[in-house]
Amino acid sequence: MKDKLEALLEEALSELAQASTEEGLQELRVKYLGKKGALTGVMKGLGALSAEERPLVGQVVNTVKAKLEDALDARATEVREAVKAARLAGEKIDVTLPGRRQAMGSKHPITLVTEEISSIFGALGFAVAEGPEIELDFYNFEALNLPKDHPARDMQDTFYFGESVLLRTHTSPVQIRTMLKQPPPVRIIAPGTVYRCDSDATHSPMFHQVEGLMVDKGITFADLKGILTLFISQLFGKDIGVRLRPSFFPFTEPSAEVDIACVICRGKGCRVCKETGWLEILGAGMVDPEVYRHVGYDSEQYTGFAFGMGIERIAMLKYGIADMRLLFENDLRFLKQF
Amino acid sequence: MIVTYNWIKEFVDCDLPAAELSHMLTMLGLEVERMEVVGGGMDDVVVAQVVEKNQHPNADKLSLCKVDNGSEIVNVVCGAQNFKAGDKVALAQIGATLPGDFKIKRSKIRGEESCGMLCSEKELALSAESSGIMILPENFVLGTPLFDALGTKDVVFEIGLTPNRADCLSVVGIAREVAAKLGKKVHYPGLEVKEEGAPVDSVAKVEILAPELCPRYTARHITGCTLADSPAWLANRLMAAGIRSINNIVDVTNYVLLEYGHPLHAFDYKLLAGGRIVVAAAGEGEKFTTLDGQERILTANDLTIRDGEKAVALAGIMGGGNSEIGEGTTEVLLESAYFNPSAIRKTSKRLGIHTESSHRFERGADVAGLTRALDRAAQLIAELSGGKVAKGVIDVYPAPVEPRVITARLSRINAVSGLNLSAAEVQDIFESLEFEVKQGEPGVFTVKVPLFRVDIEREIDLVEEVVRVNGFEKVPATLPQASVFSDLPSDAQRQAGRVKSLLVSHGLSEVINYSFVAPSSCEKIMLPADDFRSNGMVLLNPISDELSVMRTTMLPGLLDTAVKNISFRTLNLGIFEMRRIYLPVEGAELPEEPLYISALLTGRRDPEGWNQAKGDIDFFDVKGIAENLLADLNVGGVNYSVDELDPYYHPGKACRILSGKKALGSMGELHPTVQENYGISTPLYYLELNFEALLSARKKQGAAQVPSRFPSTFRDIAMLLPRELPVADIVSCVNGIKAPELEGVEIFDLYMGGNIAAHEKSVAVRVRYGSKEKTLTDEEVTRLHTKVTEALQKKLNVSFR
Repeated sequence: MKDKLEALLEEALSELAQASTEEGLQELRVKYLGKKGALTGVMKGLGALSAEERPLVGQVVNTVKAKLEDALDARATEVREAVKAARLAGEKIDVTLPGRRQAMGSKHPITLVTEEISSIFGALGFAVAEGPEIELDFYNFEALNLPKDHPARDMQDTFYFGESVLLRTHTSPVQIRTMLKQPPPVRIIAPGTVYRCDSDATHSPMFHQVEGLMVDKGITFADLKGILTLFISQLFGKDIGVRLRPSFFPFTEPSAEVDIACVICRGKGCRVCKETGWLEILGAGMVDPEVYRHVGYDSEQYTGFAFGMGIERIAMLKYGIADMRLLFENDLRFLKQF
Repeated sequence: MIVTYNWIKEFVDCDLPAAELSHMLTMLGLEVERMEVVGGGMDDVVVAQVVEKNQHPNADKLSLCKVDNGSEIVNVVCGAQNFKAGDKVALAQIGATLPGDFKIKRSKIRGEESCGMLCSEKELALSAESSGIMILPENFVLGTPLFDALGTKDVVFEIGLTPNRADCLSVVGIAREVAAKLGKKVHYPGLEVKEEGAPVDSVAKVEILAPELCPRYTARHITGCTLADSPAWLANRLMAAGIRSINNIVDVTNYVLLEYGHPLHAFDYKLLAGGRIVVAAAGEGEKFTTLDGQERILTANDLTIRDGEKAVALAGIMGGGNSEIGEGTTEVLLESAYFNPSAIRKTSKRLGIHTESSHRFERGADVAGLTRALDRAAQLIAELSGGKVAKGVIDVYPAPVEPRVITARLSRINAVSGLNLSAAEVQDIFESLEFEVKQGEPGVFTVKVPLFRVDIEREIDLVEEVVRVNGFEKVPATLPQASVFSDLPSDAQRQAGRVKSLLVSHGLSEVINYSFVAPSSCEKIMLPADDFRSNGMVLLNPISDELSVMRTTMLPGLLDTAVKNISFRTLNLGIFEMRRIYLPVEGAELPEEPLYISALLTGRRDPEGWNQAKGDIDFFDVKGIAENLLADLNVGGVNYSVDELDPYYHPGKACRILSGKKALGSMGELHPTVQENYGISTPLYYLELNFEALLSARKKQGAAQVPSRFPSTFRDIAMLLPRELPVADIVSCVNGIKAPELEGVEIFDLYMGGNIAAHEKSVAVRVRYGSKEKTLTDEEVTRLHTKVTEALQKKLNVSFR
C-alpha cells in the first residue's frame, strides 16, 4: 500500500512537471485530489484496512497528500509567473514614440522681457504705473520740456490725429501723469506701447518701452548709476560692464546714455556693437527742474531720476534676434520658441 | 558732424592716439559713431625724383625714366609729358594698391622694364581731374610716403551730436571740448583781413526790416575775384565731411561753416539790384527759386534776404539761383548773419529743405562770433581767388545780445551729482570751458556764459557741465537713501499676468499686432458703416493706408495673423492677444482704451501626432477656455445670451458673455462670410473679453469650504425634452431645489437623431447627493431623487427614458 502511494506521488510529480498552464494544473489537482481523484480513492480504501494498518497508511496518505498539494501550489506559482512574464514580454512598447500632448502656447518675448524687468524693479520697490497710448501734446512733449518747434522733437517722429492729439512717442508722459496725481516721494516704472513714424530693419512704427521714475529728497545722479547698475546685473548677469556717458534729453539734466559691454563679443568689438564693444540700452538722467515746474514739485526740495529703455532692444539682445521685424510678424514657428 | 584729427590739431595741441581721442569725445557726450583713417594703406606711394628722362626706344608717346625713390634708382616707363628731369614726383612702387583696387606690378612695356608708376592726382584720388602726373614741391623728402609728406593722412571722426550742442557743429567747437578735457587752451588763429578796396559802405547797404527774426546782419565785399577750382587741401577737407567741391568761393563758405560752425552766404554782387540787402519777410504766396532749381511758394512767415527788387535768398536756409556765384562772378557780397532759430525751423520744416545752414541756425548760432567767420572767409576768398576786400564791415546789430550770467551753487552741484567736488575743482572746470567765473561768497559762482553756448541757461545746465567734464566715470554708484515703501503690483497687473499664463496653458500663443489697421478691416468683419467700431481714430500721417486707423476691435488683427500663419502651413492655430482697443468718446479729446483679451482658434484641437485625438476645434473648446478663465478670475453671475450678437458671428453658434446684466464679451464661431473674406478654409472660433469689465465682476474670495468626510451617492436621469429647450434650464431647475444634501448636477450625455424624434433630444444627467453628517441611506437618497425628478417633470415637462 505504501509503495503504491509512493508510486502515485512519483507519477503525479512527474505529470506536474509537465504541466505548463493553470488549466493543466487544475486538471491534475482534480485527477489526484478531487472527489474522484486517485488519492481520494486510496483514502476511501482505508476503511478496508485493519485497525493496526489504518493509522500507519493514513499517515503515509496524509504525507503524500501534503507533498502533492505543496508541489501543486509551487508549480502553480511558477506557471503564473511564467505566464505573467510571457504577457509582459508581449506588451513591450516603443518608448521612443512621441507622448500624447496637450497643446502648449507661449508668451510673446516682449511680454517675457517686460515681466522680467517689472519683477526686478518690483524687488527694488518700484510700483507699476500706466497711461494712455493716445496722448495730448502737453503730456508727451510740453510738460517734458519739449516745446513746439524745439529741434529735439525731430528725435521722435510723431503720429498725429490732430493738432494736439497724438500717439505717445515714449512712455515718459506717464511720469507727468503720475506726478500730477501724487506728491513725492514717487517710485514707479511704466511699461507700455509707444509709436514713432518710422519703419525699417531697426525701427518699427510700434514698439515698447519701460519708463522709470524716482523722486524723493536727496536722490542723486550717483543713485541713478547705482540703481541702473544693479538692474543691468540682474538682467544680463553680474559681470557685464556698464558705462554712463553724457547725452541729451529735454526732460533730464544731466542726461546719460547707458551702455553695456557687448553681449555678443564681450567688449572686443563686433558687427552688432559696430566695433565699439558697447551696446546702448537705455537713456536716463536727473529729472529737469522744468518738468517739476509743470507738475508743481519743488525742485529745491526734491531731486530724482528718470530712465527709459526699449524692450525690443533688450529682447533682441537676450534672445539673439537680429531683425526687429521678427517680433511683429507673429509667425508661430518663431513665437513658439519662447 | 564730421571732423578730421588734423583739422582739430590746428586749434588745440593733442597727441592722443586716435582711438583714445575717440573714446574721450564719446565720454564727453560727443558720441563718435565712426572712425576711419584716410590716406592709409598707400604707404608704397612715395616721394621720388626723376633723375633722367629719355625717349622710349619703341614708343613715341612714352618716356623711359630713371627715378630715385630715396634708396635706389629704378626704371619707370611713363606716358605723361608734363615733367622734366629733377622734378619730384609721386611714385607708386611695386606692391602698391591705388584707389579702384589697381595693383602695381613689375611689368615690361614695349620691351622696357617698368618698376612702378608715376601717378597723377586723379590716380591717387586727390582730385577728380588732372592733366599729367603730379609734380611735388621741391622740399619733399625722397622716400617719404606721399600722404605723410602731403600731410593728408588723417583720421575722420563722425560724431553723432545731440540737438543741444549747436556749439559743436564745428571743428572749433570740438577743439574747445578737447581743450577743456585736456586742460589746454584753444589757439584761435589771428585773423587779419587785408582791406584794399573802397569803403564797404560806399558799395553796399544793408537794412533789416524784421529785427526779431534777424537780430544781426554783417557783410563784406570782395572785388576782383577769379572763379576757379579749389586747391586740393580745401577740396579734400570738404570731401571728408561729405561736401562736394564747387569753386573757390562757394567752397570757402562751406569750409568756414565747418570750421567755425557759422553758415555764410556769398552773393554775386553784380546780380544784387542796387547793391542792396534788405532782410524782410516774404510776400504771402511769393514764388522763389532756390539754388537747387526748385520753385518755392513762400508765406509771410518766411524770412528772405532781398535786394532792391526781389528775394535773393531764403534766409539761413538756401540761396537763390538769381544771385548765385557762377561763371563770370568777380564781385562777391559775403553774408554772415544771425537768424531766429524758431523761424528758420518753421520755414525749413514747412518747405522740407534741410541744409547744413538751416541745421545750424535752427539749433542756435553764435551771434557774437559771426564776424570772426566773416573775416576768416573774406581772407580765404581773397587769398584763393585773388580778390580785394573792401574796407570795413557792414554790421547791422540794433540790439546787441549780452552773454547770460548764471549763479551756480557748489552745494547744488554736489547734491544733484552725488559727487564731492571742491570749489576750486568746479572753478577750473568752468574756466576750461571758457566761462568767466567769479566767486562771491564761497561756493557760489557767478558764471558768464559765452554766447556760443546756447544750451546753457540755468543753474542745472551748469551742474551738468561740471559732471560731464569731470567725467561720468568718476560718479560713484550708490543706492538711494530713500524712504522705505513699496507697492505690490496692482490687482489688474497681477491678474493680467495670470490671464496670459492661463491662456498659454490652454495651448494659445501670444501675438502682438500693430494697434493700427486698414480702413477696410471693419467692413471685412461685416460691421456696418454706422457701427461705432467702424469709426476708429484716423492717423493724419500713417506709415501706409493699411496702417492708418486705430483698431476698435481685436478681431481683424487676429484674422490677419491667422491668414499669415496658414500661408506658412501652420494649419492648427491657437492664438491670443491681450492689448488695447481705442474707442473715440463723443466730446472728449482722448478716446477710451479698454484692455481686451482676445483669442482665435482653428483646425485640430490637439497637436498632430500618431496617437493624438483627431477632433476639430468647435464652439465648446472656446467656451471651455472662457469658462476656465472666468472661474480662475472668480467672476460672479456668469450667464450667456444669444441676443444682440455681433454680425461677425455665426448666428447659431455664438453668444454674448455676461455677469448678471453686465456685458463682459462674446464668443463663437465666426460667420462663414468673414471666413471667406479672409480666404480661410476651416471654421474659426473667436473669444473677446473686456478685461476691466471682468475685473469689476469678480466675487470676493469666500471662506474655504471643508469637504464632507462621508462618500457621496450618484443617481443618473435620462430624459427626453424638446430640442429647443436649453440644457442650462435642467441644471438651473435641479440647482433650484432647496436641499443641502443635493451637491451638484452634471450633464454627461446628449443625443439627437437615431430613434429620437426630430423635435426632441435625449439628455442624461448625474446628480450627486451627500451629507456632511453621515453617509446617506438608500431611502434618503431615493426621497431626494424623487424630488428632483418631480421638479423636472413639473417645471420642464420632460419625459424619462
